[in-house]
Amino acid sequence: MKKRWYGSALLILMCAMLVFTSACSNNNGGNSADGGTKAPAASGNNENPDREEITIDVFSMLANYAGEQPGWFAKLVKDKFNIKLNIIASNLAGGQQKIATMMASGDLGDLVVFGTNGRDYQDAIKAGLLLDFTKDDLLNKYGQGLLANAPEAIEANKKQFGGGTAVYGVGFDVGTGEGPSEGATMNYGPNLRWDLYQQLGSPEIKTLNDYLPLLKKMQELEPKSENGRPTYGISLWSDWDGSYMTLAKVIAQFHGYNEGDGLNPAGMILTHQNKDEWQGVLDEDGYYLQGLKFYYDANQMGLLDPDSLTQKFSDVSNKIKDGQVLFSHFPWVDNVYNTPERTAEGKGFALVPFADEKVTSYGQSPYGGNRVWAIGADAKDPERIMEFLSWLYSPEGVMEANYGPKGLAWDIDGSGKPFVTEYGWKALPANAEPVPAEYGGGTFKDGTNQINNTTLKLTNINPDTGETYDYNLWPSTLNHNPDPVTKSWREATGVMTAKDYFVKNNMIEVSKPFFTTETPVTVPAQLQQKIDGIGKIIKEYSWKMVFAKNDAEFNKLQEEMITKSKGLGYDEAVAYEVGNAEKMVFPFR
Amino acid sequence: MDINTASKTMVDAKSPKRFQSKDKYYLFLMALPFLVLAFLFSYLPLYGWIYAFYDYRPGIPLSASEFMGFDWFTSMISNEIQRQEVLRVLRNTFAISSLNIATSVLPVIFAVFLVELRSTRFKKIVQTLTTLPNFISWVLVYSFAFMLFSVDNGFLNNLLLDLGWISRPLNILASDDHTWMAMTLWSVWKGLGWGAIMYIAAITGIDQEIYEAARVDGAGRFRLMWHVTVPGIMPTFFVLLLLSIGNFINNGMEQFYVFQNAMNTNHIEVLDLYVYNIGMTNSNFGFATAVSMLKSLVSLFLLFVANSMSKIIRGDSIF
Repeated sequence: MKKRWYGSALLILMCAMLVFTSACSNNNGGNSADGGTKAPAASGNNENPDREEITIDVFSMLANYAGEQPGWFAKLVKDKFNIKLNIIASNLAGGQQKIATMMASGDLGDLVVFGTNGRDYQDAIKAGLLLDFTKDDLLNKYGQGLLANAPEAIEANKKQFGGGTAVYGVGFDVGTGEGPSEGATMNYGPNLRWDLYQQLGSPEIKTLNDYLPLLKKMQELEPKSENGRPTYGISLWSDWDGSYMTLAKVIAQFHGYNEGDGLNPAGMILTHQNKDEWQGVLDEDGYYLQGLKFYYDANQMGLLDPDSLTQKFSDVSNKIKDGQVLFSHFPWVDNVYNTPERTAEGKGFALVPFADEKVTSYGQSPYGGNRVWAIGADAKDPERIMEFLSWLYSPEGVMEANYGPKGLAWDIDGSGKPFVTEYGWKALPANAEPVPAEYGGGTFKDGTNQINNTTLKLTNINPDTGETYDYNLWPSTLNHNPDPVTKSWREATGVMTAKDYFVKNNMIEVSKPFFTTETPVTVPAQLQQKIDGIGKIIKEYSWKMVFAKNDAEFNKLQEEMITKSKGLGYDEAVAYEVGNAEKMVFPFR
Repeated sequence: MDINTASKTMVDAKSPKRFQSKDKYYLFLMALPFLVLAFLFSYLPLYGWIYAFYDYRPGIPLSASEFMGFDWFTSMISNEIQRQEVLRVLRNTFAISSLNIATSVLPVIFAVFLVELRSTRFKKIVQTLTTLPNFISWVLVYSFAFMLFSVDNGFLNNLLLDLGWISRPLNILASDDHTWMAMTLWSVWKGLGWGAIMYIAAITGIDQEIYEAARVDGAGRFRLMWHVTVPGIMPTFFVLLLLSIGNFINNGMEQFYVFQNAMNTNHIEVLDLYVYNIGMTNSNFGFATAVSMLKSLVSLFLLFVANSMSKIIRGDSIF
């Protein structure tokens, strides 16, 4: 009987443990959630030259790689700081849900990269999950690079998010100076197959619609790709859609408009880059509906890839690579086609803008962009993480974190000017070129900085060399053996780069940096729910309109889309966003 | 347990009073771990329903979150267009669930015929091939579907074009024709073999003597199937049917999520997918919880209705 009793007691004990452990973990979550108070224990041993190796958790909402940082960047960080980076990528593990889980657990890791300074970032501050850079004088002691190179960005963050006293992070792409901040190419094209365009005698393109007859002729000129697949004028994809069809919104970006207002989360309005003008996504004469009409016309002419609706971006990328697509919205999408073999034959994509185009461009902003670097409240060694972050914001750090250690892919010549090495031409920007073991081994591609957030804007001038950080803009690069396509394009346009073309012909609308002490709004939950509902309707009808059978159906769908959206509260959403823009953005720029 | 204790227990057991008081608690203790587990995993989470009344943001404690009252519940039917949306979604949910219940008889038929196969090897191959799709994730099923049906380079279009049966490729994935039917077919394809496993087990459980007796009475193969096998697995079928009626409103979302596009969203968007599209993509946990609460209540109601129907019609029920 005794033994029985023991057995039962043991059982009860185990059950009790089950209950209590679950209760305990509950408590823990609660504690760390309300306490940003846990002081990072000041470890005074950081002046010690041979510091012990630490591994820090880098939670990056932008990273597309998870696990320990490999290759040359790992070697660099290990040699300089004796730090190993363990990257946690929400993009690869459930996206927003992963972020929510991390937030609810009360620990965001050591170094944190936020995709926007919107809701998640502000909630993390509110929940006490982020470290105040000014605590224990951390910033002044260990953040010299940050203070020297991004002082206004620190100040802006303090005013916007830290109540004027605390600093909970620093924005990306910090830059100074006038003019566009893009590198040699812009974010938007449109680019066409340059060889076919030239064969057709380079006809003038005045408006967006002029592309369609031209694409028709190009398609007739090359009806099959190299692999014998049919060619399409335009191929679209739907997996980047948010509250509306992303690729129809791009038409607004060809006209100097951008989504949102540059500060608050984007929703239903598009605003001009530097004028105080806005339009709703569903405005009858707005650029979004114009974009839908453009794709509808393309489909009517048999130019649109019929798989556009069902395929993903990767499918389109493969089609571009195979030469099945003749038009590209973004220069960074079509570069998969421009292989050295093809460009040697004179085949390749190049910028062919329309005369009315005003490409959307982002200006330099000393206050930094909306992707934020922050440090977790429970970070193990905040001093060393601050040192690392500070280095990332220094000229040396920018060069090495982006292009590898000096002497490998790039170097400085006798007169102090930077140049790309023979190795660099093979490896940059991220090719699978083997890296010598002394620099960390592996391939150059795998070894690139996988955190995937920038610090200083690459088109800034590097004080050490007097040239930009971006190697594409170095004179030594621009004059380095241009391929036949580039050569032909330069001869035809009389400029060196796509950016020069837009600037020279005044076809560009650059955003001006503005400073505000206002925190970007977090949309009230109920309104956000409405916007999500409207977005669903707009996406659905937009695609149906593009593939409508005739004008009558197109117009009918458009009418239905507008009626339904308005019924769900579209006007309320627009009024809210315009109110924010007029109050928080327009007066300050 | 040594002999002394054993004999003592037997002595104890002889006295009815002691038997009751002792072993009652002992049995209770044996059941306790499972009661605790049921409490932990089935009742404790009900506490989470509280989130339906708050604007909860992960990381921020509930005490600091905004109290919303019944706003998440009423927002579903706040205006005419919104009501139409919910009705459309419910119509899809009910249609696809009904089709699924209608096709739930297919695994039964499949199982009955499968065990009749003489060649063990062939039987094994068929069973493996039909069970396999169950283990393929819906994402992979979609990429398989895309390879088969895409317009540009799909197997079907290439085949039909080469045969000269069609002149223009068909766009099967981006069409809203027979969406419910297509979705049902996909889930039948994926679940047929897996669903049959339970019935095959039930069939093996049928007493062989009944078959022998029937054979002696002169029953042929189909008579055996109809009069012995089918009645033998009916209880299993009805239990599963009742449970699936209880799940009438839960279609799951993966399948519909991967197959949805602008063209078919009108007919493919079931309740779970709708909640995902509206609530989860934007971490609106309050709204998602509110809907799941309603779903639980509806499921519970349906299960009780189905159970009492079964009691009335078949004179048998699961509880």
